[in-house]
Amino acid sequence: MAMNYPVWDVTFGAGLLMAMVAILHVFVSHFAVGGGLFLVITERRARRNNDVALLGWLKAHTRFFVLVTVVFGAISGVGIWFTIGLIAPTATSNLIHAYVWGWAIEWVFFFVEITAALLYYYGWEKLEARLHEWYGWVYFIAAFASMVIINGIITFMLTSGTWTKNHQFWKGFFNPTCFPSLAFRFAVALALAGIYALITASLQKDALLKGRLVRWSVCWIAPSLAVLPALGWWYIHKIPPEVWADVRGPMPTATHFALFAVVLLAVTFTLTLLALVKPGRMPLALSLLVALVALGAMGSFEFVREAIRKPYVIANYLYANSLYSDTTPGDGGFSVDEVNTAGIVHSAKWIANRDLTKKDQAAVGREIFRLECESCHTTDAYRGVKHYLALRQWDRTKIQAMLSVLGLMHNGAMPPFAGTDAESRALAAFLSTLHPVSATATAAASDGQTVFDQNCSMCHRISPGDTLFTKLPKDPNAASKALTDLPSLFPAMPDLKLPDRQRLALVSWVNTQRKARGFGISAKGAN
Amino acid sequence: MNPLNVIPTIDPNPLPAPYWVFKVLLVVTFFLHIVAMNFLLGGGVLALVARWGSRKPDLGNRMFLDLARKLPVLVPATVTLGIAPLLFLQVLYGQFFYTSSIVMAWPWFLVLVMLTIAYYGFYYASFRSGRQIGRAGAVMVLSVLLILLIGFLFSNNLTLSQSPSRWAGKYFADTAGWNLNLTEPTLIPRFLHFFLAAVAVGGLFLVFLAQARWTADNAYARQLLRFGGKAFMYATMAQVVVGIILLASLPRALRMLFMGDNTAASILFVIGVLGAIGAIFLMSDALRKENVRMAALYVPAVLAVVIACMSIMRDILRDAYLKPFFHPAQFAIHTQWSVLPLFLLLFLGGVILWFVMLKRYGLLTGKRAAT
Repeated sequence: MAMNYPVWDVTFGAGLLMAMVAILHVFVSHFAVGGGLFLVITERRARRNNDVALLGWLKAHTRFFVLVTVVFGAISGVGIWFTIGLIAPTATSNLIHAYVWGWAIEWVFFFVEITAALLYYYGWEKLEARLHEWYGWVYFIAAFASMVIINGIITFMLTSGTWTKNHQFWKGFFNPTCFPSLAFRFAVALALAGIYALITASLQKDALLKGRLVRWSVCWIAPSLAVLPALGWWYIHKIPPEVWADVRGPMPTATHFALFAVVLLAVTFTLTLLALVKPGRMPLALSLLVALVALGAMGSFEFVREAIRKPYVIANYLYANSLYSDTTPGDGGFSVDEVNTAGIVHSAKWIANRDLTKKDQAAVGREIFRLECESCHTTDAYRGVKHYLALRQWDRTKIQAMLSVLGLMHNGAMPPFAGTDAESRALAAFLSTLHPVSATATAAASDGQTVFDQNCSMCHRISPGDTLFTKLPKDPNAASKALTDLPSLFPAMPDLKLPDRQRLALVSWVNTQRKARGFGISAKGAN
Repeated sequence: MNPLNVIPTIDPNPLPAPYWVFKVLLVVTFFLHIVAMNFLLGGGVLALVARWGSRKPDLGNRMFLDLARKLPVLVPATVTLGIAPLLFLQVLYGQFFYTSSIVMAWPWFLVLVMLTIAYYGFYYASFRSGRQIGRAGAVMVLSVLLILLIGFLFSNNLTLSQSPSRWAGKYFADTAGWNLNLTEPTLIPRFLHFFLAAVAVGGLFLVFLAQARWTADNAYARQLLRFGGKAFMYATMAQVVVGIILLASLPRALRMLFMGDNTAASILFVIGVLGAIGAIFLMSDALRKENVRMAALYVPAVLAVVIACMSIMRDILRDAYLKPFFHPAQFAIHTQWSVLPLFLLLFLGGVILWFVMLKRYGLLTGKRAAT
C-alpha cells in the first residue's frame, strides 16, 4: 500500500477481504444484467402464449431478483468503493481523477436501472402488459450500459493500452481487452440469469411447470457457457503473452485459479445438463449446488484476472503496493526509483519508526513490511510470508539477497523492492524473525532438488527454455565455479553464496534433469 | 507529529473539469442524498413512534404499516443518491477522506454490512406488516438502530477527515483501524443535528402521505397530517437548541464565520434559522386550519431552502477546517472535453427518462399513488 496513505492492517489479509467483497458482488451484479434480459424475454414469451403459470412464477422470481440485485448487488457495489478506498487508496484516487466522468455516467445508468427495477417489480399488479415490459427493457438496457462502463475501466486496469503514454480517457477505456471482456462477461451474465432462475424454479410444486422452467433456464445456461471458451480465447489473445504466461506455472495463484476456473466451469455445465434428466423433479439442492460451483468458477476467473495483473494494480503505471512504476511529475516521490534514492524512511508519510541506526532494525522492518508488502501479503495468514520462508529455509542474509530480485520472481509477479540497502537489511531482519533459521540450517540441504526449490525456483523453472538448463556448463566443476558468482552470470541475479556441497548437488541435479527430460543445451552455454 | 507531514499527496492526474464543477455537483447531490436519507431515517423513527408511542394503538399500527411499506424504496433512493456525493467528495477531498476512512477502517467497512442487514430488515417488515406486526416492529427497531449507527459513523468519519492533526495518533495506536473520533467536540451535536433534521423531514413525509390520501380517506389523512406536522414542529424546535449547541461547540474562529466574519456564510445562517422558525409557524398554522396543501407544499418549499443553506454552510465549514491543509489551487486542471459533454447529455437524458418513468407509472399525477 502506500507510503503516501496509511495502511489498513487486516489480520487475515486485506487482499482476501477485497476478493470476498468483489467476488460476491460480481456474482450478483452479472445476474443483475443477464437476469434483466431474462425477465423481459420470459415475460414476453409468457404473455404471447397466454401462459398464466409461467407469468405467476415470473412475478415471484422478480421479487427474488429485486431482493438479490437491488439490495445485495447495489450495497455490495458501494461496498467495493468503500473497500478499495480502504485497501488501495492511491489506485482509487488515480481511478477517480482519471475516470470520474466514466463513473458519473455509470451512476446515471445505475440510477435509471434501480428506479426501473423497482417500478417493474411494483408494477406487476398495476401496469398493463406493454408498459410493464417497457420498464423491463429500460431496466435491462440501463443495467447493460452500466456494465459497459465498469468493464471499460476494469479492463483498463489489466491492459492499460496507450493510456500510460497519452493519459486519454477513451484510449484507456477502449483498451485491448475491453471488448472481449465485455462479451465474456455478458455471456456469464446470461448464464447466471438461468442459474438463478433454477433456484426459484426448483421451489415450484407443480412438476409440469417446474419441468418447463428448468428446461427454459438451461436454455440460458448451456449455450452461454458453451461460448465461454471461444470468448475466453479471444480475451486471452488480447492479453500480452508475457502477462498470460503467469498461468502456465510461474505464478502459483494464477496457475491454480486458471485450472479451477476451467474445471468448475465444466462442472457447472455438466450439472446443468444433469438438471435436464428429470427436470420436473429437480431438487433445490441441485440448483444451489450449480450456483455454488458457478460462484467458484466466477471467483476463480476474477482471481486469475487480478493475479495476472500483478505486480500492477493499474498495468504499467501503478504497482499493487501503490508505488508508481515510473517516475512521473506529480507522483509525490512515490515511484520505485525515487524511493530507491531517497529511502523509505524519508519518503513515507505513515511510518512511526524512522531510525535505522538503532539496534532494533526489525521494528523498522516491520513497518517497511506494512508499507511495501501488506497490500498482498500477511505475516502468517493469507499469502503469509512466514510459510514461504519456512518452505525455503532462508536466513537473514539470504532473505536480503533475495529482496534484491523480488521483481523477477514468479515471472515478475511482484514489484521490485524499493528502498535503500539499509532498509532492505531492516526488512530482512524483520522477516527473519518470522521463521528463524540459522545459517547452518540454510546450508543443510544437500540434495539438488531441494537446493533448487529453496534457492532457484522463485525465478527458474524446470523447463527446456530456462536459462538454468540452457546456460549452465555441463562440466560439474566449471558449473560449480560459475555458480560462485551469480551476478557475473547475469547481473540481476542475487549474490547467493551457496556452499560447495550445495553447488555440486545442484549441478548434478541439473544434469540429471537434462538427461531425463531431454533438455537441450545450447552450444554457447556448453563451452 | 506535524499534520502537514502525514497528509497524502494527491495523485498525478489532473482534475478532469474545473474545481467549481465538482463543488457544485458535490453540494447539489449531497442535498438530494440528505433529503432521501431524512425520509428514510425520519420515516423509520416515526413508524416506531407510531407503533409504540400512540395512544390509539389501531391508528398507530396503521401508520406503522403504511410507513413500513414505503421504507424499502427509500433505502435504494438514499444509497443511489449517496453514491454521487461520495464520488465527488473523493474527487476533491480524497486525500483527507481516504485517510480518515483508513484510520477508522473496520467501523467504516462494517457500514456496508449493517446497511445490508438494515435493508433486508426493512423489506422483511414491509412483507410481514400485513400479518405479524409484532415481529415486523422488532425488526424495524433493529433496522432503524442500524441506520442511526451508520449515521453516527458517517459523522465520525467526516469530522475526522477534517482533523488531520488527530490521524497519526489514532492510526499508530491501532493500525487495524478500530478507531472512532469520539473526542471531537462537535461530534454529538452534529450527529443530533442530522438526526433531528431527519425526524422533521420524516414528519413531512407523513404530511405527503396525508395529502395523497386526503380525498380517499380523509379521517385517516387528517391523523397523518397531525402526527407528521407535530413531529416536524417538535423536531425543528429541538433543532434550534441543538443548532446553538453545535455552533457553540465549533472552534471560535469557525463559529465567527457564521456570525459576521464570512458574509455569505452569515447570510445563509440567518436565512437558515429564520426559515426553520418560519417553517414551524407555517406548519402550526397549517395544522390549526387543517390545510394539507399548505403543510405539503409551502412548508417543504421553505424547508428546501433551509436545507440548501445548511448544505452550503456545511461545505463552507469543511473548507474552513481544511484551510491550513487544502487549497483548490493545488489541483492541475485538464478538462476532459471528450467525455464531459457526454456525461451532461446522458445526465439530462437520465433525468428526463426518470421523470417519464414516474409519469407513466402514474406517480406524478397521483392517479395510482393511493395504493
